[in-house]
Amino acid sequence: MISVQKLSKRFGAQTAVNELSFEVPAGQIVGFLGPNGAGKSTTLKMLTGMLEPSSGTANICGFDLRRQPIEVKRHVGFVPESGAVFESLTGLEYLEMIAALYGIPKQVAEPRIRQFIAFFDLAFDTLTEKLLGAYSKGMRRKVVITAGLLHNPPVVFFDEPLDGLDANAAVGFKALIQTLAREGKTILYSSHILDVVERVCDRVIIIDKGRLLLDGAPDALVAENGAGTLERLFTELTGGAELEQRAAEFAKTFLP
Amino acid sequence: MSGAASAESEPAETARALRRLFLTLFLRGRTSRGLRRSSAPRSIGVKLFWTLAVYTFVGCSAFAFWERSLFVLSASLHAMTFLFLGMFVAASGGEVLFNEQEAEILLHRPVAPRSLLWAKIRVLVEVSLWLAAALNLGAFIAGVAMPAGSWLFLISHAVSVTLEALFCTGCVVVVYQLCLRWFGRERLNGLMTAAQVLVAISLTLGGQVVPQLIARYGGKFELSTDSWWVSFLPPLWFASLDDAVAGGGSLGSWALAGLGVLATAGLLALAFGRLARDYEQGLQSLSEAQPAPRHGRARRRWFDLLVQHPPLSWWLRDSVVRASFLLTAAYLVRDRELKLRVYPGLAPILAMPILVLLRGSREHGAGFAVAFSGAFLGLVPSLALGTVRYSQHWQASDVFRAAPLVGPAQLCHGARRAVMVVFTVPVLCVFLALVLLANAAVADLMLLLPGLLLLPLQSLYPCLTGEAVPLSMPSEEAKAAARGYKMVGVMLVSFLVCALGLWARSGGWFWWLVAGEVVVVAVLYVLLRAVAARVRWPSME
Repeated sequence: MISVQKLSKRFGAQTAVNELSFEVPAGQIVGFLGPNGAGKSTTLKMLTGMLEPSSGTANICGFDLRRQPIEVKRHVGFVPESGAVFESLTGLEYLEMIAALYGIPKQVAEPRIRQFIAFFDLAFDTLTEKLLGAYSKGMRRKVVITAGLLHNPPVVFFDEPLDGLDANAAVGFKALIQTLAREGKTILYSSHILDVVERVCDRVIIIDKGRLLLDGAPDALVAENGAGTLERLFTELTGGAELEQRAAEFAKTFLP
Repeated sequence: MSGAASAESEPAETARALRRLFLTLFLRGRTSRGLRRSSAPRSIGVKLFWTLAVYTFVGCSAFAFWERSLFVLSASLHAMTFLFLGMFVAASGGEVLFNEQEAEILLHRPVAPRSLLWAKIRVLVEVSLWLAAALNLGAFIAGVAMPAGSWLFLISHAVSVTLEALFCTGCVVVVYQLCLRWFGRERLNGLMTAAQVLVAISLTLGGQVVPQLIARYGGKFELSTDSWWVSFLPPLWFASLDDAVAGGGSLGSWALAGLGVLATAGLLALAFGRLARDYEQGLQSLSEAQPAPRHGRARRRWFDLLVQHPPLSWWLRDSVVRASFLLTAAYLVRDRELKLRVYPGLAPILAMPILVLLRGSREHGAGFAVAFSGAFLGLVPSLALGTVRYSQHWQASDVFRAAPLVGPAQLCHGARRAVMVVFTVPVLCVFLALVLLANAAVADLMLLLPGLLLLPLQSLYPCLTGEAVPLSMPSEEAKAAARGYKMVGVMLVSFLVCALGLWARSGGWFWWLVAGEVVVVAVLYVLLRAVAARVRWPSME
């Protein structure tokens, strides 16, 4: 479903993503991990057609990212980390605008929006009456997730989707993506919350400095490397192993 | 709460840090996302330099009063200072005083709200004084060197301009705080936006139209401190201070000067004393979720109705164009930041034809005035489209790139159609009303045609480079961008065509010109649309 081949992105002299290659079959949830600045968001922006790769390409749902970017976009949903929305629109106006961008007729879009509203426990009045600028962070995140899934894409990229969601909504969301995957959707899930990734994802890809470090099932990777947990494995791989020691020493400087 | 960290107990370093913070934020903007770090400070410095240079140039009009009395010179300069400072403080006050993100950043720090208020007022007054100094540079020289001048004018004018800056700032602070007290936070934004837009339009129109009216009806009234009506005009209170110290020094001047000092002191006491207690409450309520505007739904229904029925339903058949139209129209009627940039920006365009109509019907005949008005119509879509692309919510425009759209053409078409419906049609109605008010013959109205026929091309022009994608650029870049030369090009084409129209009418071949223009515009329109359709998304890097 997703085939990434030697994908690279350079910003001037800086290489953000360096010849990244991986394959994701249909129905799999893949955790896409890496420390800050590893190149995760850049990769997601390239895979969603928002940023042009410097070299390499990807094939998504049978469409080549470089030659058929519009078809790729039609088959991909993206929930960005920023959660940015047009704050002077109401939630409903925003979602209707998104539907129009994907060519979804209003009579099809409205029941679908209502389904999402019901799932996320949002009041329809809130969606029609309040401008998005007045929404809480969690409510806004729910609207952004709805906007990413509204056109029923076979491939979905999530960038920190739980940011701002309350515990109940987060539980519901995790169940939702697992169900979506069982029904054949392919999900690339980028997050820093490693225990959630460990529980939800069938497989994890860890990158650092734009390069692929590890790729495999979380349990297998943890066992192979003798790390105990995914978090431990991640910190060992990305140079964070000495952080605990540094934190302990730093905390001592606060003692009277 | 404020007792624990009162303004008095805070060290001077805190006050200095706050002042430095608000001054930096004011000059650089609250968000510099999208600006390069290396170019941001330079662009701010250059912008400030040119602003002060323009103010100094405008202030040189003081030399036009060389032969008049010191009071007339001072009155004109204080009126101008009041206009410019009033606009500046009214436009900046809301953002400086009540910023929504600020509560979360600063209210949990050991700083009293009153200290925040003081620091902000200090910054507003400080920048006002820079502008006032630049604007009055010519006046300082003229006031000393002119026949009726005196070296005392240097001191008196410095004091009176400072008082005027404090008065302007105090007025705005008091109005904000009264609005907060009387109408509550939920209506503050809407009220202040409407007030700021009205003030900016009135000041721009007034600043350009009133001198013409005075010139037209000049000599029918005389400016003197003995006139009863001068006590109702705040700029004249401060001009009277100059007259009292460095000019005639009549009893009337001293009385008016005293009124100015008392009014300023009273305003400051009100702003920083009685009403300052409400400021903390106001700041706290900013971080709370704000209720939806009551009118939000009605406006939405109005737009929905419009796009669902002919002729707009025919014009907006494409779903992406319609979505872009609705987005742009919603922002044009709702978004405070956009309204504050778009509407005052249109005021000078409206003012120019009014001026020409005022003069034109007497000097050149109404035909020239009507043709000139038509030329200005062509500027409306370009100006509005150039403004609509900037927004604080520009990051949300990532959805346009993620959507299956080949390029930005459909979004640009939606935006330009929204601008045509929301702006150009109402402006055309205002023009028609003005033309009729100026006693132009109905036959003269045909001279609007050459300008009107250009509208489709003028509105299409920003789409050729994909620059008309609505809300897609950080609003901070609008301040740094140099877009003036493109407007000059649009203006030249408009004026050229309208001049042709006048020539054609006097030569008896006007309708031939119109027919030719229709053909040329139609051909160019098709060609330009094809070019616009080929535009691809520019690189995000």
